[in-house]
Amino acid sequence: MSMNLEREKAQLPMVDLAPVRSSVITKLLYGGMVVSMLAAFYFIFMYAEIEKTMGAVQKIFYMHVPSAWVAFLAFFVTFVFSILFLVKRKRIFDTYAYVSAEIGVVFTAIVLTTGPIWAKSSWNTWWAWEPRLTTTLILFFLFMAYLMVRQMDGVWDKKARLAAVFGIIGFADVPIVFFAIRWWQSKFHPIVFGEGPSQQGGGIAPSMLVALLVTITAFTFLYAYILHKGVSFENMRIKVGHYKEKLRERLEN
Amino acid sequence: MGFMYAAYSVVWVIIFGYMLLIGKRHNSLKKDIEFLKQLDR
Amino acid sequence: MLRTALTIAKKDIYSELRTKQVLGTMIIFAGLVILVLSFAFDPANNTTKAVIPGAVWIIIVFSGILGLNRSLVSEQRNDTMHGLLVAPMDASSIYLGKFLANFSMILVVELVSIPFLFLLFDFKITGSILYFILVLFVGSFGFIAIGTFLAALASNSKSSEMLLPLLLFPMTSPVLIGVTQATKIILTNMEKLPTAIAWLQLVTAYDVIFFVLCFLLIEYVLEV
Repeated sequence: MSMNLEREKAQLPMVDLAPVRSSVITKLLYGGMVVSMLAAFYFIFMYAEIEKTMGAVQKIFYMHVPSAWVAFLAFFVTFVFSILFLVKRKRIFDTYAYVSAEIGVVFTAIVLTTGPIWAKSSWNTWWAWEPRLTTTLILFFLFMAYLMVRQMDGVWDKKARLAAVFGIIGFADVPIVFFAIRWWQSKFHPIVFGEGPSQQGGGIAPSMLVALLVTITAFTFLYAYILHKGVSFENMRIKVGHYKEKLRERLEN
Repeated sequence: MGFMYAAYSVVWVIIFGYMLLIGKRHNSLKKDIEFLKQLDR
Repeated sequence: MLRTALTIAKKDIYSELRTKQVLGTMIIFAGLVILVLSFAFDPANNTTKAVIPGAVWIIIVFSGILGLNRSLVSEQRNDTMHGLLVAPMDASSIYLGKFLANFSMILVVELVSIPFLFLLFDFKITGSILYFILVLFVGSFGFIAIGTFLAALASNSKSSEMLLPLLLFPMTSPVLIGVTQATKIILTNMEKLPTAIAWLQLVTAYDVIFFVLCFLLIEYVLEV
């Protein structure tokens, strides 16, 4: 009996860590996300002027572009943490890379669904094999493949190593894909549809630009919040896994 | 206009869907913890 | 390093020549792809000529994937991977050797299947054959370089046959785009040759970048 008590005491701290502790950072990120999201909605619907030719439909832009930005940011973060993992071999880097890639896939899915909706309303076609669209699609496939590598069987550090290698190569591939597709398309369709901010350039009204920047900030906060939450959750899962392993060992003996 | 509503709803469906997925994982983990605690006792 | 790589390549090719299992499968598979293509695109129809340059790459990609799958999985299955890793050589020379073996195999497949394709579809080359061979060489180089690397990565998984295409196709999309465009120009209208050369340059740049990258990263993939 006394042994039992002792064991419980030794084990409990590990379990106690399990419920999510809302640290200062979580609260800060959560607050920032909520405030900036509300501000973003105000700016989108109240502040920004309505586009003359496209009308209210143009407001899809404020969801589409920030999602694309977050998607690319997420994959960049995956890339950076993959390199860090290969150099330092700390598990936390791998966790960051994984969670970030997953969020990236979610936001790429947003880009890939809002894009066609917008395209249907303004170009009257669901899909155009346009450089940015196609690159986003290939990016989506690349990081689905990244998640597939993570689903592999085996010990975690092997999976982490392979996933990190794939993350690096995949990210290095993206610019080349973009150039290749842009080149390919410009041979057949000399007019490239303006969609991203770089192509609209000076054509964007200042109020729209402000709204866009606010939305990008809001989405970045959202990303940071989900990333933080996802990483703390992943850590918890790892801890529970360790705990399970120990418990099993004890039960076997 | 309809397109805008469609796009916005799709965006939020995806984001909340993802949140829901996270929540589901959370719950299953919690269940796991409860089970482990019981085993430990 | 080159010597050890050549040794590995020689070993692979010898064992392949002894069984002729993979090479035979790849060539038969290429023939089957041609057969399926003839069902999909009526060979008697003149518009079919437009898809032949693309068909060349369909054949190479699909039969290439078969060979790539085998080359590292067989090492894993027979547990000779450890032997290779323990041997006094770099991981990069293993990669180089495997790459050379795969590359020579795909060249053999191309040598057999592409004339066959042109023959069966009655395709008359109006462009230059020399440039066509160059395109084939550069394109296969990129495809096999990154393919060997990803095959090494995927061979750690139990379902590597399913995993490899998922990893390989999006990754090689720039090569495939460039090379199909260049092939189309070179085989049908030579007036646009500068464009084809530009495509070739892009694919070559890709080849160089990824060959170096794979060389640097293979150490992490083949770690025990």
